[in-house]
Amino acid sequence: MSFDATYTRELPLVEGRSSFRELDDVITKPLDTKPSVKWWIGFGISFTALMIGAVCLGLTFWIGIGLWGNNQPVGWAFDIINFVFWIGIGHAGTLISAILFLFRQKWRTGIARFAEAMTIFAVMTAGIFPAIHTGRPWLDGYLLPYPNQHSLWVNFTSPLLWDVFAVSTYFTVSFVFWYVGLIPDFALLRDRTKSGFKKLIYTILSLGWRGSNRHWQHYERVYLILAGLSTPLVLSVHTIVSFDFAVSVLPGWHTTIFPPYFVAGAIFSGFGMVSTVLIIVRKVFDMEHIITINTLEKMNKILLATGTMVGYAYIMEFFIAWYSGNPIELFVFINRAFGPYAWAYWIMFSCNVFFPQLFWFKKIRRNISITFILVLLVNVGMWFERYVIIVTSLHRDFLPSSWGMYFPTIYDFGILLGSFGLFFTLVFLFAKTLPVVAISEIKAVTEGAQPKHH
Amino acid sequence: MDKGADKEKNLKSDGQTYWRSFSELYNNKAFRDALNSEFSSEELNGLRKNSKSSLSRRRFLALLGASAAFAAAGCSNYRGKGQIVPYNKKPEEVTLGIPNYYASTCTGCSSSCGILVKTREGRPVKVDGNPDHPVNKGKICAKGQASIVNLYNPERLKEPMVNEGGRFIQSDWNNVNSKIKEALSSANSSGKQVALISHSVTSPTFKKIIEDFQKAYPVAKLYTYEVFNESARRSAWEKTYGRKSLPVLKLDEARVILSLESDFLGTDPNHIENTRLFTSGRDVMSGKEFNRLYVVEGAATLTGFNADYRIRLRTDAIEEFVLCLISELVVKRKISPFAGDSQVLSMLSGYKLDEFAAKHKLDQKVLNYLLEDLLKNQGSGAVIAGDMLPESTHIAVNFLNEVLGNSKLYSRESESTDVHPLSTSDEIETLISSLNSGNVDVVIHLDSNPVYHFSPDYSYRELLKKVKVVITLTEMINESAELSNFIIPLNDPLESWGDYKTRSGFYSLQQPVIAPLYNTRQKETVLLEWTGRNYSENLYHDYLKENWEKSVYPMLGTTASFDKFWFASLHDGVAFIQEKPEASGLSFSKDAFLKSVPMKASDGYVLLLQNNNTVGDGRFASNGWLQELPHPISKVTWDNYAAVSPQAASELSVNSDDLVEISVNGRKQVFPVFVQPGLADKVIEVSLGYGRTAAGVVGTGVGVDAGVLVSAKPAISDRLYNNISVSKVSGKYELASTQEHYPIDSDPLLKDIHKRRGIIREGTWLQYKEDPKFLEKERHKMDLSPINKPPVYAREDYKGYKWGMAIDMNKCTGCGECIMACSIENNIPVVGKDQVIANREMMWLRIDRYYSGTPEAPKASFQPMLCQQCDYAPCENVCPVAATTHSEDGLNGMTYNRCVGTRYCSNNCPYKVRRFNYFDFRDHFKDSYQYSESFDLMANPEVTIRARGVMEKCTFCVQRIMKEREDAIRENREVIGSNVTTACQDACPSDAIVFGNVNDQDSQVAKYREHELGYTVLEEIKVAPNVTYIARLRNIFEKE
Repeated sequence: MSFDATYTRELPLVEGRSSFRELDDVITKPLDTKPSVKWWIGFGISFTALMIGAVCLGLTFWIGIGLWGNNQPVGWAFDIINFVFWIGIGHAGTLISAILFLFRQKWRTGIARFAEAMTIFAVMTAGIFPAIHTGRPWLDGYLLPYPNQHSLWVNFTSPLLWDVFAVSTYFTVSFVFWYVGLIPDFALLRDRTKSGFKKLIYTILSLGWRGSNRHWQHYERVYLILAGLSTPLVLSVHTIVSFDFAVSVLPGWHTTIFPPYFVAGAIFSGFGMVSTVLIIVRKVFDMEHIITINTLEKMNKILLATGTMVGYAYIMEFFIAWYSGNPIELFVFINRAFGPYAWAYWIMFSCNVFFPQLFWFKKIRRNISITFILVLLVNVGMWFERYVIIVTSLHRDFLPSSWGMYFPTIYDFGILLGSFGLFFTLVFLFAKTLPVVAISEIKAVTEGAQPKHH
Repeated sequence: MDKGADKEKNLKSDGQTYWRSFSELYNNKAFRDALNSEFSSEELNGLRKNSKSSLSRRRFLALLGASAAFAAAGCSNYRGKGQIVPYNKKPEEVTLGIPNYYASTCTGCSSSCGILVKTREGRPVKVDGNPDHPVNKGKICAKGQASIVNLYNPERLKEPMVNEGGRFIQSDWNNVNSKIKEALSSANSSGKQVALISHSVTSPTFKKIIEDFQKAYPVAKLYTYEVFNESARRSAWEKTYGRKSLPVLKLDEARVILSLESDFLGTDPNHIENTRLFTSGRDVMSGKEFNRLYVVEGAATLTGFNADYRIRLRTDAIEEFVLCLISELVVKRKISPFAGDSQVLSMLSGYKLDEFAAKHKLDQKVLNYLLEDLLKNQGSGAVIAGDMLPESTHIAVNFLNEVLGNSKLYSRESESTDVHPLSTSDEIETLISSLNSGNVDVVIHLDSNPVYHFSPDYSYRELLKKVKVVITLTEMINESAELSNFIIPLNDPLESWGDYKTRSGFYSLQQPVIAPLYNTRQKETVLLEWTGRNYSENLYHDYLKENWEKSVYPMLGTTASFDKFWFASLHDGVAFIQEKPEASGLSFSKDAFLKSVPMKASDGYVLLLQNNNTVGDGRFASNGWLQELPHPISKVTWDNYAAVSPQAASELSVNSDDLVEISVNGRKQVFPVFVQPGLADKVIEVSLGYGRTAAGVVGTGVGVDAGVLVSAKPAISDRLYNNISVSKVSGKYELASTQEHYPIDSDPLLKDIHKRRGIIREGTWLQYKEDPKFLEKERHKMDLSPINKPPVYAREDYKGYKWGMAIDMNKCTGCGECIMACSIENNIPVVGKDQVIANREMMWLRIDRYYSGTPEAPKASFQPMLCQQCDYAPCENVCPVAATTHSEDGLNGMTYNRCVGTRYCSNNCPYKVRRFNYFDFRDHFKDSYQYSESFDLMANPEVTIRARGVMEKCTFCVQRIMKEREDAIRENREVIGSNVTTACQDACPSDAIVFGNVNDQDSQVAKYREHELGYTVLEEIKVAPNVTYIARLRNIFEKE
């Protein structure tokens, strides 16, 4: 067997040997030019959706969350579904930038910045829901442990409180991580821009970065530390979100598989969303050679892996429900798959488990249009996963007398739409104001960037 | 610094004489400059006096304060709090914060039960039963409890009204009274009739006033009617026993009860007493064998579902069934002297029980049990027939009771009396014909609503146009008032005086507990005025007192002064007198039986027009609390419906929420369908009292008026029709039910799920007798020992007193009176039909109804479900803000102020007993109807009104527990568990609810908790609930 040199050779991460200058130009082009019509259309749609959500939310504040479909027994519905969904989306970014960084997966470079930004926007979007889902959102401050004259303290046994800490920590760390990564790029932009106003902003944001050796040394050290800090958070945040359910006594919620199952699901959904957005972005901003098809293929492999893990969890839940011998638990799962909400269950199951199996085929992994359809389905499926967990477990629990169906209202859909509106409005603004690819990092992985011994 | 320099200067000018240096002393300019700029810097120069604002510090602070105050005042949106003024002179008996209780009488229906009204600072806040009243003994039905809402109904009429050209103009009493008196005199002089139309008259003094009125206006005639009446029973009684008064049935002594289409535990006006007597024969603590209830019915009533054996039979065949039963006993088994009576034998010759059973597919085994039981318990059995059955059935039932010697159970001491008999249909017929011929000048509706109640056959609405003057005395606008010339606003019963007599041996008194809220008078006063008396506030009070002095006081034969007697009677609410029933012996005559024409069964559909527990005959339609009280069987709120059996539903190809048109001899009405398991095939049940067209914002248009189907000359009885036609019509109508419907037997996943989950645990009396601990063996199969360890979070050890509840399911009939008591006690808002559909009803206590068996012949189990106050409450550890916490005495408390409304507690509650304020329901329902000013007075001041977005739930009436705690502290004693009763416990007519300190081993609740039939719901999830249910035992021969 002859030695195949191409087999061990790494695929180029940036295709077509662009010069550093060309990379700068491509990446900063959206920042230097006036927004295109395409951008305005996209931004307009997103912003309209955001405003629809804002109106629905405003009415909810004014009249009460009775405008939603939540009821007895389904106390949580779209509010918490959206929360868990968006938190899940927010898992890919940190995973890509922190864990893949620690594992020296260089292919992450092209997508890391964008994924991190999406993480931050997704967590921002997610963070709205715990705040608005309460009956009296003006008293949400009670959820924070602050000293007060009533000597009232929060209840540290409540997973909802853990959520408050987990999500705020995650947001802070992700934000700092993202910002630190941006500093060299800000400096580059500062040096490139001709507008005085922009220069001022970039000057402030770049914190006096001059690209000196010492700067780079500190930068690398901080980046490594933050990556180390973020890595456990990627696993812990969704674990804690899953505790909202796992700590309860409700059959269908009270399962020990939830933490790993939720984390896998979160990564799955996060990669789904990152792929969805990147496929559009690389096309719109002509970055096909930076965000390459090889990168997308790698992401599809992760989708296949996590989707299969999620599928394992779905099946394991059934097995445990039967194996536990708990008739109520078993009922809940049979009811999930064959009861009044069976349609939601099978949407979830097919989108998350069946369809991603197509990624076993290389042709499909490398086919952009099929990938796009499949990742869209992953988004749908993962939203329905939370729907299935929350609504179907609540709607038929212990006492058949209190069973009831849940019907979302127009306000529920409006706020769901608004959450997408907020996310994409932020994504559009980001794409227009900040470099969507880490310029400094991408230069390090272009062909010929590293010294070689020949 | 700067300031120092100023001070320095001031000191100088003030002529201070101390100095620090010579240059200072000599006031050298250079020194002064240097001194001024000693710490000079650019910043500090900005603070120099001459560059400072002219605003002084004080003035700045004053302005700051003022602008903050203005801003606060401008932005605040608080309601006017009103004034709280302490009593200048404390009224006698009233202490702020301490409730007063007054005995009175409920006038919600003709039963006239005694009530005890709780008032706080002069305003009634709760109505309970009067414990001294011999009929209802401290209990009162939901309607009676909710009557407090009527008092505060914001839509009550506040002034007399005159109809001027179709519009009602507010008038004053003098004007109205003089005009009416004029009309009455002119009718009197022209010899035209004055028709007084009233519901049944149960007040002797009111009857006397009518007699006075008739003396003043001899043309006046009184007509009385009642939609739900027992005329058939009374006339049957008169025909068979020759007496008008019905003796009271000693239901508590009955060993076997056969109920024929009688809802004596449910919608019967006297169901409170019946329930108490019936369930006293099912006391598991007494150890005595239970009585046995057989129910033969076409409808699906609460009584039927409480039966040990329920036999479904179309209603129009019930009389044939009775005759077959008699024939079986008399002809076949030669029971009773009638066995040798040839007339009787020939009459019964055509009736064969086995043929009948075969024809109607009755279970022969159950019929044998029934026969054996009736025979075995001769003299201690009772056969009861429903009010809607015709006279002939009642006669047959009287005969059957006589055959079995059951007349022993008729009380010889107590009988129901009739102050004034209801008008017969002939009498109403004459009224109609006089109206038709224009012989009636004045019609006075005495708190009655015949336009709505009378059969459409009478065309009463049109006939009223022929009457010169129509006067309606009413509390609220109604259909009859709308067609009147004068509307006289009446006092609420809680603002009125009165006396009532429904039984021999005592009178029941009514006294006002609050001064009239509006410019209203009571009907007795108004009639007295029209007879020529001058109005005074005490007009009727004085009349009543005088009448009592003359007619009641002498019957007492006491030496005590009248005043003493009067005040004692007022205090007690009842006055006992020495009174013998008409005749102590009963003499039965078989003639009526031989002469009566039996009801003919048909093959077609049967229509039953039913009574209900909520709106009654429609007079409570404007009471939202009653409209929202779920029907005890179907759990439907805010509507009536055509209940059809599953078999009929498939025959008519309809399902729940479809529409059907029911037509009876040309009279038609369209109803929404509700498929009711357990109805006899081809029997359709509809409740009367709905579909009011003038009942205020709450009651107008709720449900469909089934009264339009009532015939003036019914073939069977006014509430029972056969051979009716039913057809599906297009369209849908959504009914609001508080319980989800799911197939009860087709889905193996759902069948008997409540039993499989151990929520409902039942057995039979025989099983219990054989093995008192049988329930123990049927406990959850799961091995609980691994989790029977202390849970994660340590909790109180409950060393002192600890509250707990026990509910005896053998006594609970599922009537729902407790729900109303809870709602009124705890200020629970009405949410409206749309919110019930959205599953957001707010009742803290609900009665779960589960079916088992087949949809055709199901068994029902009822279970009151309320917060179980779990020791390891799963709601508590998930609340992020610690708004729900545990108390040392075992209560799961709710701090409304702290609650932010995450609803996590509700999700984690296995019993789903928590209720969330999705809206400000008081604001959301009917355009802030519940925020009307008058309703503010109704609220129980001991219980917080919950804000929007707050979770709430049952707290075992913690306000009552606190009261006992305060009393104990004040009296320096221990808290005594039995001193506290919960509102639901107070209301339970069968005393099925027991509450108290479970640590007190002698307490009743502790005994129930230890009882071998006691179980807790969902014990396997180890939340340690504190509500113990006593498993229901069915007294049947088979094993379950």
